[in-house]
Amino acid sequence: MISLFRFLAIITVVSYSGSIYCQSNNEMTLVKGGSFMPLYGVDSSMVIVQDFKMDVYPVTNHEYLAFVKKYPKWQRSKILKLFSDDSYLVHWEDDLSLNKDLLPESPITNVSWFAAKSYCECQGKRLPTVDEWEYAAMANETMPDARTLPEYNQKILSWYETPKTFKNTIGSTFKNYWGIYDLHGLVWEWTLDFNSVLISGESRKDVDKDSNLFCGSAAVGASDLMNYAAFMRYAFRGSIKANYSGRNLGFRCVKDVDKTQ
Amino acid sequence: MKNIITTILSLTLFVSCNVEKKSDKVLQKVDTEISSNTISDMSIYNLPSTWTTQNNQDIELKELQGDILVMVMIYTTCKAACPRLVADMRNIESQIPVKDKEKVKLILVSIDPETDTPERLKNFAQENNMDNEQWVFLRGTKEATREFAAVLAVNYKKISPMDFSHSNIISVFDTNGVLKHQQEGLGVNNKETVETILELAKKS
Amino acid sequence: MRLKLKLLESKTLCHIMILALFFSLYSCINNGESKAIENAADISVSKEMIAELTAPPNVPTPVGRRKAKKLIVNMEILEEVGEMTDGVEYVYWTFGGTVPGSFIRTRVGDEVEFHLKNHPDNKLPHNIDLHAVTGPGGGATSSFVAPGKEAQFSFKVINPGLYVYHCATAPVGMHVANGMYGLILVEPEGGLPPVDKEYYVMQGDFYTKGENGERGLQPFDMQKAVDEDADYVVFNGSVGSMTGDNAITANVGETVRLFVGNGGPNLVSSFHVIGEIFDKVMVEGGDMINENVQTTLVPAGGSAIVEFRVDVPGTFILVDHSIFRAFNKGALGMLKVQGEENEKIYSGMQEEGIYQPEGGGIQEMPIEEGVSRGVVTAKTLAEKMEFGKATYMQTCFACHQAEGQGIANAFPPLAESDYLNADVNRSIDIVLHGKTGEITVNGVVYNSVMTKQDLTDEEVANVLTYVYNSWGNSKKEVTPAMVRVRRSGH
Repeated sequence: MISLFRFLAIITVVSYSGSIYCQSNNEMTLVKGGSFMPLYGVDSSMVIVQDFKMDVYPVTNHEYLAFVKKYPKWQRSKILKLFSDDSYLVHWEDDLSLNKDLLPESPITNVSWFAAKSYCECQGKRLPTVDEWEYAAMANETMPDARTLPEYNQKILSWYETPKTFKNTIGSTFKNYWGIYDLHGLVWEWTLDFNSVLISGESRKDVDKDSNLFCGSAAVGASDLMNYAAFMRYAFRGSIKANYSGRNLGFRCVKDVDKTQ
Repeated sequence: MKNIITTILSLTLFVSCNVEKKSDKVLQKVDTEISSNTISDMSIYNLPSTWTTQNNQDIELKELQGDILVMVMIYTTCKAACPRLVADMRNIESQIPVKDKEKVKLILVSIDPETDTPERLKNFAQENNMDNEQWVFLRGTKEATREFAAVLAVNYKKISPMDFSHSNIISVFDTNGVLKHQQEGLGVNNKETVETILELAKKS
Repeated sequence: MRLKLKLLESKTLCHIMILALFFSLYSCINNGESKAIENAADISVSKEMIAELTAPPNVPTPVGRRKAKKLIVNMEILEEVGEMTDGVEYVYWTFGGTVPGSFIRTRVGDEVEFHLKNHPDNKLPHNIDLHAVTGPGGGATSSFVAPGKEAQFSFKVINPGLYVYHCATAPVGMHVANGMYGLILVEPEGGLPPVDKEYYVMQGDFYTKGENGERGLQPFDMQKAVDEDADYVVFNGSVGSMTGDNAITANVGETVRLFVGNGGPNLVSSFHVIGEIFDKVMVEGGDMINENVQTTLVPAGGSAIVEFRVDVPGTFILVDHSIFRAFNKGALGMLKVQGEENEKIYSGMQEEGIYQPEGGGIQEMPIEEGVSRGVVTAKTLAEKMEFGKATYMQTCFACHQAEGQGIANAFPPLAESDYLNADVNRSIDIVLHGKTGEITVNGVVYNSVMTKQDLTDEEVANVLTYVYNSWGNSKKEVTPAMVRVRRSGH
C-alpha cells in the first residue's frame, strides 16, 4: 500500500501531465504499417512506419473542454508561460466556456504542442510522428497512397487556399482509405516531432546544401519538389514553435499497437 | 506521501539557499502551494524529466537551479557541426573570468540518447578536455529530448542511422532557469552571449 | 559648318569622358565601393515615423526634403477571397489586403523597422523579401512568420530606386502567383522631382483551374503555373481594377508619373500606354533615364518609373503590349484625361471607316461542341440574366455597347432591334457562326463583320436571353437546347 502511494506520488510530482487515467472517447482505427518515401526523408531512403492506431477525428472543442475541466493546469488562465504563448485558447469565452460562435464539434485549435501532447498522454496515447501523420494522410478514399494522382494534390492545395475552414465541424471532409476523416481540409495538426523540420523560411536558401545552419544538411533537399501540398505542410511545421497556438492548428492522437496481444 | 513532503522540503531549501534576494512572500507561497509555483512560469525547471550525466548520475533539471546555464544540443558521433559547436562552447567558457566560473555550468545535451550512453559521454568529455565540474553532459529519454528541444526551439531530425541534422543554437539561462539569450549559427560572434553571462554572474 | 562644330564638341566631350572614366576607375580601385553608397549607409537618422502605406493605385506622400528617419512599417498579411473578374473568385494572399501589396515610400538613409504580421486566421507561414534590402534573403530569413505571429527586422535603405518586394516562403512561385508582391520606393535625398499625379500600377499573372472567365471560386493551378500558361494577366490584381470608374485620372497639361512593377511570377511585361509616349523612363527602376520611349520592358520581379505629360483629353489605355494579354487576359487599364482639346496635337476623327476590334473570347479556337465546360448552370431566368450579362460584358460589350445601342455606322444596335426580335434562330446562328455583309436594322443599313463567337451552348443561351430581356426587346428566353439544334445544323 505504501509503495502504491509512493508510486502515485512520484507520478504526481514527476508528470506535469497528470494522472494517466482518463477516459478515451475518441474512436480509433488501425493504420497498417509499411514503408514510404516522405518529402523529407532519411538519407533519400524509404521510411518504415509500424502499425499504429489513429484517432478517426481531430480532437474537438467539446472534448478539449472536458480535458481542461479535469486538468485545471491546462486552463487558459493557469497554463504555464513556458508551455504556451498568449494566443492559447484566446478564442474561448473564458477558462471553462466556449465562445458562442464556436461549435462544440469543431476541431480544437489555439492549443500549444505541450498542451496537445499532454492531452494525448492523459488518454494513454501520444501525438503522431511527422512520418506517421504523412503516411496516414497520403491516402485518399480508395488508395493508401494517392500522392501520384494530380487531382488528389490539387484537392489538398485548394484546401490550403480556402480560408477559415477551422469553423467547420469534424467529419466534414472525406473518409480516407484507413477510415480516418479530416486529415486534409479542416485544420493543420500538431505532430510529436514537428521540430524535426529544418526549414529556415528562406526557401530558396533551404535548397542550398552548403547552408551552414544545419548539420547533415543532405536532408534539407526534398525528394519531390513538385509535391507542393506536402511542401507547404513542412513549411508550416518549420514556422512554428512548441509554445505557439494557431487558429488553424489542432491535433489528434495515435497509439502504438501492442504486438503481444 | 513522504515523497511529496521531501520534495517540497528540498525545494524550499533550494529556494531559500540560492535565491537570497527573494522576499518572504515567495517563501510563504512555497509553503502553501505545490512545486511548480515556486519557480517562474517561464522556467525550464517546470520540465519534469529526469536525465543521466556523464558520471552516470540521475538528475532532474531543477537540481541545476542556482547556476547560470549555457546549453547546447549535440551528439557525440557528429562530425560536421558539433565539433564546431563544442569549440564555440569552449570559446565562451574561456571568456568567463575565474571568479565567476563557479557560477556557470556549461551543459551539452545529447540529441541521440540511443547512442550516447553515459560511458560515451564520459569518453567524449575526456577527449575534449571537459571532464570537470563545470561541464555537464546530459542524456534523457527520446521523448524528454524532443520536449527539451521544443523548449529551446532547437529542431533536429535523424537522417541516417548515425546522423542527425539539427539547428545550432547556444542558449543562456539565468539562475531560475529562464531563457535569457540565444545565439544561432556556427562560429558566430559570441560577444552578446558572453555579456549576458557576465551580467547574470554579477547579479547572482 | 554645323557638323564640324558638333564633331569638335563630341571630340572634346570624348576626352573629358575618358578622363572622367579614368578618374572614376581610379577612385573605384581605391575605395572599393562607390562613394554614394558609403554615404548612404552613414546617414544618421533622427526621429521615428510610422510609414504611410497605400493601396493601389495610390502612392504615399513624396518624401520631399525630409531628413532620414527611423521608419516603422506595419504590414499585415491577409489570405482572403477576392474577385478576379465578374463571377470569378480567387483566394488572394496579400500584403496589406490588396494585390499588389501596400506601397512603401522611403528615402535613402531611412532605417526601416519592418513589422510583418501574419493574421491569426491565415493558414500559412509567410515572409518577405524586399529587393531594396542589402542582406541575406532581402529580409526573408529574418521574417519567416507563422499565422498569428509578428516578425520584426530592420534594414537601412542605401540605394535609391523602385524595388519589388514579395513573399519567399516555399513554394515561392505559389505565394507570388497568389498575389504576394508589391513595391517599395527609395527616393534620393531631396526626393524625386515633383510631378502633378503619381500612381501605382503592378502587373501579375494568375493561373486558375478553370479557363479564363469560368465562374465560381477558382483554385490555383500549379501545372499551368509551371507551364507558364496564364489564364489572367492583370494590372493591380484583377480584371477591370483600373477601368471604368476605377480608371486613374489626370488633367490636360499635367505630368503623370507611374510607378510600374511586375510581380510575375512568370511573365515579363511590355508596358505601353496607348496614345502616349513616355517622356522619361527610369529604366528598371534605377538611375538610368531613357527618353521618348513607346514601350518599356518590366521584368518579373522588377520595375520601371515612367513619366509623361498629358497634352490632350481622352482615355488612354494602359496595356501589356504582348497584346493578347491585354485583350484576352485582362492586362488593361485606363487613364482618363480631362480638359480642353488641342487639335494641333490630335485632330480627332477626320474620317470614319470600319474597324473590327476583337472580343473577349479567343476566336476560331475549336471547342467541343455543345459540351459545357463544367460551369455552374443557370437555373432561373434571373441567373440566366446574371450569367448572360457577364458574357455580354466580356464578349459583346466592345461593339454593341453597354446599353445595346451599338455604334453608329459600324455596329448595329441590339436595343429595341427589329432585326433581332424578328427571328430568334437567325440571332443564334449569328452568334454561333458570325455574320458578314449588309443588314438593315431599324431602318439603317450596316455593312460590317461579326466573327463567330467561341461560346458554349449555355453561354449563347444566357447571353441571348440577356439581350432579348433587356433594352425594350421581346423578352424571349433562349434555351441551350435551342442553341444545340442550331449548332448541329438543324
